[in-house]
Amino acid sequence: MSDADFYKRAQVVKLKTLSDVNDIGKPWRYEENGLTVTRTSPWSPPGCHPVGCGLKLYVNDEGRLVKVEGDENNPVTQGRLCPRCIALKDYVYSPARLLHPMKRDREDRGNADAWEQIGWDEAYAIIKENYDRITAQYGRESIVIFAGTGREGGTFAPYGTMCFGTPNFCYTQSGYACYTPRLAAIAYMAGTTYPEWDYAGALPGRWEDERYDITEVLMIWGKAPLESNPDGFFGHAVIDSMRRGTRLIVIDPRVTWLAARADIHLQIRPGTDTALGMAMLDIIISEDLYDHDFVEYYCYGFEQLAERCATMPPEKAAEICGVPVEKIYAAARMYANANPGAIQWGLAADQKTNGMQQGQVTVSLMAITGNLDAPGGQILPGTGAGHNEAGFGFEEGVGEELFSKMVGLDKYPAYCMIILNAHADLMLHALETGEPYPIKMGFYAGNNLLSCTSQEPQRWRDAIQKSLDFCIGFDTFMNPSIQATCDIFLPLKTVAERDGTVFTHYAPCTVTAGFMHKAIEVGDCKTDYELCYELGHVLRPELWEKAYAYRSAKEFMEALRLGERQNGEFFDKVAENVVCQIPVDYYKYERGEMRQDGQVGFATPTGRVELWSTAFQQFGEDPLPYYEEPMYGPVSPMLMRDYPFILTTGARTTAFFHSEHRMIPRLRELCPNPITEIHPNTAKKLGIVDGQWVRISSPFGSCVQKAKVSEIVDEKTIHSQHAWWFPEEDGSEPNLYGNFRSNINNLLPNFKVGKLGFGAPNKCFVCNVEPIAESYDTDMDLMWEKFGKLV
Amino acid sequence: MSVYGLLFDYEYCTNCGSCQVSCQEEHDYPVGKTGIKVFTDGPWKIDDEFWNFNHWPIVTDLCDLCADRTAEGREPICVHHCLSNIITYGTVEELSKELEVKPKQFLVIPQFNPNATRGEFVSRGSRHVSAAADVQGTGAATYATHRHDTKIGELDENEGTIF
Repeated sequence: MSDADFYKRAQVVKLKTLSDVNDIGKPWRYEENGLTVTRTSPWSPPGCHPVGCGLKLYVNDEGRLVKVEGDENNPVTQGRLCPRCIALKDYVYSPARLLHPMKRDREDRGNADAWEQIGWDEAYAIIKENYDRITAQYGRESIVIFAGTGREGGTFAPYGTMCFGTPNFCYTQSGYACYTPRLAAIAYMAGTTYPEWDYAGALPGRWEDERYDITEVLMIWGKAPLESNPDGFFGHAVIDSMRRGTRLIVIDPRVTWLAARADIHLQIRPGTDTALGMAMLDIIISEDLYDHDFVEYYCYGFEQLAERCATMPPEKAAEICGVPVEKIYAAARMYANANPGAIQWGLAADQKTNGMQQGQVTVSLMAITGNLDAPGGQILPGTGAGHNEAGFGFEEGVGEELFSKMVGLDKYPAYCMIILNAHADLMLHALETGEPYPIKMGFYAGNNLLSCTSQEPQRWRDAIQKSLDFCIGFDTFMNPSIQATCDIFLPLKTVAERDGTVFTHYAPCTVTAGFMHKAIEVGDCKTDYELCYELGHVLRPELWEKAYAYRSAKEFMEALRLGERQNGEFFDKVAENVVCQIPVDYYKYERGEMRQDGQVGFATPTGRVELWSTAFQQFGEDPLPYYEEPMYGPVSPMLMRDYPFILTTGARTTAFFHSEHRMIPRLRELCPNPITEIHPNTAKKLGIVDGQWVRISSPFGSCVQKAKVSEIVDEKTIHSQHAWWFPEEDGSEPNLYGNFRSNINNLLPNFKVGKLGFGAPNKCFVCNVEPIAESYDTDMDLMWEKFGKLV
Repeated sequence: MSVYGLLFDYEYCTNCGSCQVSCQEEHDYPVGKTGIKVFTDGPWKIDDEFWNFNHWPIVTDLCDLCADRTAEGREPICVHHCLSNIITYGTVEELSKELEVKPKQFLVIPQFNPNATRGEFVSRGSRHVSAAADVQGTGAATYATHRHDTKIGELDENEGTIF
């Protein structure tokens, strides 16, 4: 099959509520009522996980975007949209948006008034001068790329490998506590990548496709898919499936809307998931509810797993997790008896030091129940899947010698090698101490680390300010991180202004491939691939002209994303489809389609799903899952005397993508203030009333948020939102848009990672809460006055 | 003429906010103004096992059922964007049938800015015309409301004395 056939226009599945007057079957661009309509499948910015929801962008004859509507041609989103894309026009034309490069003296870092507008040529010249000077003295390894999440830039590894030529592409969250630990667990155990729930996204006709079996039981574990569209999964597919009969088990410390509708809700103490998973495995194995054939032919180490899980009987787990033991039995039986059953495991797995072990129990549950690569179970990518973002251009751009200098590679090879990333905590250490070598230059690739990604943010700010001679920010808006630490600002295009691709689930296990189409031009901005291409030529002309030798930025994107080099012509051809379903198949392991060598089984040393993991053992970790108490918690009663509550953080809302969108009034209106959830009995005891502001504190720091008194959490647990800053406030230091006032990361540590370097206790920590007299309620009139009038 | 309304299947409203933001974008409403918004009740415990937790999208007095869109034969914008796909636009006749199919639904027929719709106050006009008469005085002022069989509370015009 040629690649052009691979990318075929997806078959439309019309929603019943959609009128007969609709845009089904329209081409990628058409005219309507004097407007030019461009159909597109966005990724970023604004940031979002790569779902690629269908969008129709309506542009008038002056080239202005006047309307945004969901595209009913997308087989998964079917015209539906979340508020963030609905408000895209407000984002694109926000008076706060920055449309031109700017410079500022190093001494003026933190001064919001010191920026001076410049052209791209001058910006490139300044970057080049600093790059040459710094790399001559300290080597290219002295450059760090601060990577974030959700934005295309956040995983745009070529910034490191090809553009700056540094091994230190670095996602700056302690322990890479996001997605990658889960990826690592399945990679080590089954030689494949993230096993997404099969929601029929890739099947023509979707749920009605004859190959599909509706999921009988969906276990949603430490995940809030409706609000977060996690990792490219269209969250409301859960609703579509519930309507078709899917029943839920929800494992969550919060009574989420889904938990309130679940057959079984296991409201566990945050951080105790691995104990729960081991107990469920113990029940399924001892009650003989597992898939004997799959275990016999395709699993390795079943006996050892059974033996290990027997050390965590359900009664013991019930005590650890704080849930009734009958519910653990019921959940294990319900999941094991489901045909098919599936698990959606979320970020909570990554945000604990015991998370790799949670990964082991989760994959083991999927495997021994025969739900891997089964319709309605977990989809697995075959050998042809995946896009080599991390390794792309690596050999010529970085090479083995420089790679060996990657920060953290010696101590945490498992972490650094799986995604070719410098270790986050050890990068902080390097910034603070100059060890193993000085870090002198930085570049923000879709990351606002001081507001969102990084723990102890003031410590990160101080380290960056002290260590970096030169730092570049590349974004759509000013943010606290760039304001505090950068010398150059470069303006980034939004989805409406660009072309490109979007592969759901970050490419592995892609369900749909989408294509972005440029509809408008705004200011003087660039995309990530354009900047990488242009700046690459400025900084490393020899390499880009001779070794890479792309004819255009578009060809670079085409090669990176589609594996073709046709000067953009191939892209243009397939992009007309806007959204394509990627052919999917089941039970590939029975036909040798999971391995490069074409043999049956899985791409692991033993050829089987390794319940007893040879990879874990090689990296010096226990090959079997084990439970470890959260370091900060009941295990230390002394600590709990001063910080008597369990703190869990970071539940999302649909209004914002992490630290983004706070300056979009219609979105801010959905959630004007940073919220901390407290149980009514706890609130009463502490003298806190609903809507009052409270101070939340831990041994590492404190912040203030607005109390929402609700039974959504239990009496021992506090939940606080993350990523708050206030773009309506003074941006200069020390206020810095109020960045450190309500920042829950003030309370969270660095350097408390798991044995392999993965995981941080961001969702299972301790805190105290006290009422305060002050109110910091957002003034929505001020928001509208400041940001309501579009430009 | 058929009456149109919106059918909401609130069993699946997740409070995503798409209806409200869609409405504000479509009609260019500032913050604080919208044709639809979501109210929440819960979570609170029904008993040891079950929870009550519902969201309710409610149309306001600014909902015109997207008159411009429906004139073209399209569905209102909140119907188009609703992430859970819980809003149906149609005639009351059609929607009533749907209403019977499952519980946890409600049907709404909004009225756009009803106070404006009823127009300026206009009196119905024609009043009673009083009969012509030659009215004489009683000679005494009364400032009590009890029956006139005592003199209490009556002011004697001649003596100026209150009893």
